Amino acid sequence: MTFTVRPDADAKLRGQVAFATDRGVPGMLWGALVPAPVARGRIRSLDLGPARAIDGVIAIGPADLARLLPGVTGAVERPVFPTDRIQYHSQPLAAVAAPTRQLARRAARAVRVDVEPLPPLEEIEGFDPVHPGPDRPDVIAHVLARHGDLDAAFGSADFVLSETYRTAGVCQVALEPHACIAEIQGDVWHVTTSTQTPFGAREDLASMLGLPEERIVVEGTWVGGGFGGKGAPLVEPYALLLARASGRPVRLALSYREEFQLGRTSLPSVVRIESAVKGGRIAGRRVHWRLDAGASLPGRDFTTGYAIGFILGPYRIPAIEMEGYAFRTNKPPLGPHRAPMAPQCVFAEESHMDHLAARLGVDPVAFRRAHVWKEGDRTHLGQKVGPFGLDRCLERAGALAATWSQDAAPHTGVAVGVGFWSTATGAGGEVRLVLSPTELKIIEGEREIGSGSVIRGIVAVAETVLGISRDRVRVDYHDTRSAPFDSGVFGSRTLAALGQAVQKAALALRDELGKRLSVPAGSVQLAEENGELVAVSGRRRAKIRSLLTATELALGGLTGEGRHYGVSGEIDTARVVEGTFYPYTDFTGAAHVAMVQVDPETGAVRVMRYAAFQDAGKVVDLPTAQGSIEGGVAMGLGTALTEETTWAEDGRMSNAGLLDYRIPTLGEIPPIEVHFEEGFLGAGPFGAKGLGEPPIIPVPATVGNAIFAASGVAMTELPMTPERVARALKLL
Amino acid sequence: MPAFSFVQPSTTDEALAALRQGEPGETVIVAGGTDALFELESRRIPPQRVISLRHLPWRTLSWAGESLRIGSTLPLRTLESDPDLRRRIPGLWQAVRAVGSVALRHRATLGGNLGRSSPASDLVPILLALDGEVDIVGIQGERSLPVDQFVRASRTTALGPGELIRSIAIPEARPSAFLWQRVRPANDISQVGVAVAYSPTRKEWRIAVGGVVPRPVLLPQAERLLSGPSPDAAELRAAAQEASMRVPFSTDRRASEAYRRQLVAILLQRAVRAAGSRPSPSGAP
Repeated sequence: MTFTVRPDADAKLRGQVAFATDRGVPGMLWGALVPAPVARGRIRSLDLGPARAIDGVIAIGPADLARLLPGVTGAVERPVFPTDRIQYHSQPLAAVAAPTRQLARRAARAVRVDVEPLPPLEEIEGFDPVHPGPDRPDVIAHVLARHGDLDAAFGSADFVLSETYRTAGVCQVALEPHACIAEIQGDVWHVTTSTQTPFGAREDLASMLGLPEERIVVEGTWVGGGFGGKGAPLVEPYALLLARASGRPVRLALSYREEFQLGRTSLPSVVRIESAVKGGRIAGRRVHWRLDAGASLPGRDFTTGYAIGFILGPYRIPAIEMEGYAFRTNKPPLGPHRAPMAPQCVFAEESHMDHLAARLGVDPVAFRRAHVWKEGDRTHLGQKVGPFGLDRCLERAGALAATWSQDAAPHTGVAVGVGFWSTATGAGGEVRLVLSPTELKIIEGEREIGSGSVIRGIVAVAETVLGISRDRVRVDYHDTRSAPFDSGVFGSRTLAALGQAVQKAALALRDELGKRLSVPAGSVQLAEENGELVAVSGRRRAKIRSLLTATELALGGLTGEGRHYGVSGEIDTARVVEGTFYPYTDFTGAAHVAMVQVDPETGAVRVMRYAAFQDAGKVVDLPTAQGSIEGGVAMGLGTALTEETTWAEDGRMSNAGLLDYRIPTLGEIPPIEVHFEEGFLGAGPFGAKGLGEPPIIPVPATVGNAIFAASGVAMTELPMTPERVARALKLL
Repeated sequence: MPAFSFVQPSTTDEALAALRQGEPGETVIVAGGTDALFELESRRIPPQRVISLRHLPWRTLSWAGESLRIGSTLPLRTLESDPDLRRRIPGLWQAVRAVGSVALRHRATLGGNLGRSSPASDLVPILLALDGEVDIVGIQGERSLPVDQFVRASRTTALGPGELIRSIAIPEARPSAFLWQRVRPANDISQVGVAVAYSPTRKEWRIAVGGVVPRPVLLPQAERLLSGPSPDAAELRAAAQEASMRVPFSTDRRASEAYRRQLVAILLQRAVRAAGSRPSPSGAP
């Protein structure tokens, strides 16, 4: 049996794909990190002597950086090792390498660390953010925007509903932990690694190591799941420094426990949302958001300034205010987890919508549809809304919810939740297509991270433009030395950005073939004949071989280049009081329906049925798109019901393992219906909208609303574990 | 994982001979290995030896009239697939199926679960409720102990050095049930597990609860509040109340004490009702 839906599926199911953790090179050393023994404290001394005394062990600490990195001068924003203050538990304080993994671990344990422990700062509420006071976390980002007459809206309201929601940190839980192999090759610092952003990693490494980008080569491996966690470098700088210090290749892979402790995950947040209602409509909304940013906030206030907009919702509200704070606590740095913080923000916003509708005694779907943005409306920050299929998704979701409600058993509830998102563009992307007599090669610089967007999505774009069959298209990955630039697999952008580059390059090839055949370019399609590719236009047929020059044949084929640099809309900066807010590239809506059963005596929740209506613009490859929606829903069910990082009083993550950090299993995932709404075109090729992140966003809210429908209790905390539901039901 | 020697005896005599060698602290005994693997990985001081019981002729299952004997190294998946188990001892069937995943149950064993003696074990409560007996073979000879005396505390049993669990005997088929509550239903450690069984010969109920530190417990006081095979609602409530107050629950990372008390009261009533409503093992109404 072979699996044909995805070209990589067969090899992956047979274990034939080499992920970073499967890689090794002759003569390599094994690296290990020396973890901080406390979450907050001062380093009194760090003694690498006992590790270095072990035969064959190389150990490096902060004191070695000047010698290893002559290019780094002065203070760097992100030092590889802390010299003074420990910011989070298990923070790498030093690194070792040894000929075996056991020896490396032994050496890491041998390093003597003397610290003066301080109580970790973990709380993000219960104090004034403007004057946090001593022993409170610093504010590292503050954003504030407002529009309309909020005082009038709240002053003349029929009623005001004010709610507070609390959300937990969730981890990406990629199957494969972070892993890399570093090697110094002459002047070049080479790293083979599992990364979502080879070029981004190169840029970050250059700045951390004080090297020019040309001296760093990042070679991506197949990525065993990213979900945002494999963007910024994590293990690479340590491996490169160990390779530099030892003169040998060094492999550094996190254990799964370290993956939880050091991974860049999402962290807790607190949302306060208040709506002023008059005449059955939302007249004003005020949101106040507090985000635990851990030891640092990558991208400064991006997460804060972007995600906070989702708490206001995709709705027409005349007066708004949103204010967000991100605090520096003694947890690992906040990272991007699939649609960073949007499922959490939308959980608050969409639960609030159902609670408002209940208070008004109106149908929650009709209530949403009375407010939802349509094309031409303005966002809360004044951006003009582009083609947006959310109202249509809501209409269809509402109809399905009504049907499901008819056969709802006792203690069963059916509800709807929505979410919206925008396809990121990043700093653009480029590809090179090479059409040979027998195949089309897509030369590009991104590795498949599991979503299918590289191995299948961009291939489908070439198929659509050129009519070529998929088994004649080959994705030809290149490292950062020779690949065309692309800014990474993140932000639901791959099909949209890289796919558009492929589309442009394929169109360029088609134009050229048209010229050579002396036919209109639009009429040319590729077909196969006796194992060779032929260009077909009406009755004209010509072998590609016959259309290429001798030089082209010698170089491998006819080349077409494509570049795509996305453009975003504009926000009305007059509405921004402080911080940075971001415009949307396009508008991707989703409306979900959940049927859940709530055990009225134990609080246990079972999701029985689930459906997603996804505003997709244009579906480029149906199985891949469906897979993305199903996967996003499954992941969202974890955020909704079972997943949370827990932290002990000493600042240590107390459930760093798959036993007590619970991702859903197939046993918890109900049948998922996937429906696409096409025609409201987005930023991608043929009007496709990015589908990587949108499907996770509405899930916690939809499940929470279904619990509300089933039991009448409003859940305000994630995840909605049986015990939390039992407390809300007042069983305890 | 550090290096160790691996011994795989294929007869009881070979197994006992292997136990005579080396210091007990340096040896880890493995049946399916699904739980021991964690310990081997995380141990700071690695074991010198691992003795695997997988090749011993103990992967057996035999019914004798109303009683059942289960070889200690029989994979749980084989046990749950026995055509009679579900009908004759439904509580044991439910408990076995509550353990881990299908893949895990292809390796995990009843003997291993008992030997590891976790407070959260899904199997110990039902073995208690069924008055299971542990058949032990050792260098000093053979002996048999009720499960209630065998299990002592978390990771602590009555098994001495030089002893192995050979089989577990269930004296009679009983109407029974095992119910649990978890954060993640399909595969998790139970917050509370409640096993109940009605002995048709002794005309009395057995109730056992897991998710209790240091070990799962029998609740004789609650048992006595249930009169016949189908207790009425008032009796059920009284037994639930008694159990809820009596069990020495505590708060840990999986559940609070208060939630466990709520759960045991609810699950106990449901389990007794489920067990009572089933046809008796002989098939008579």
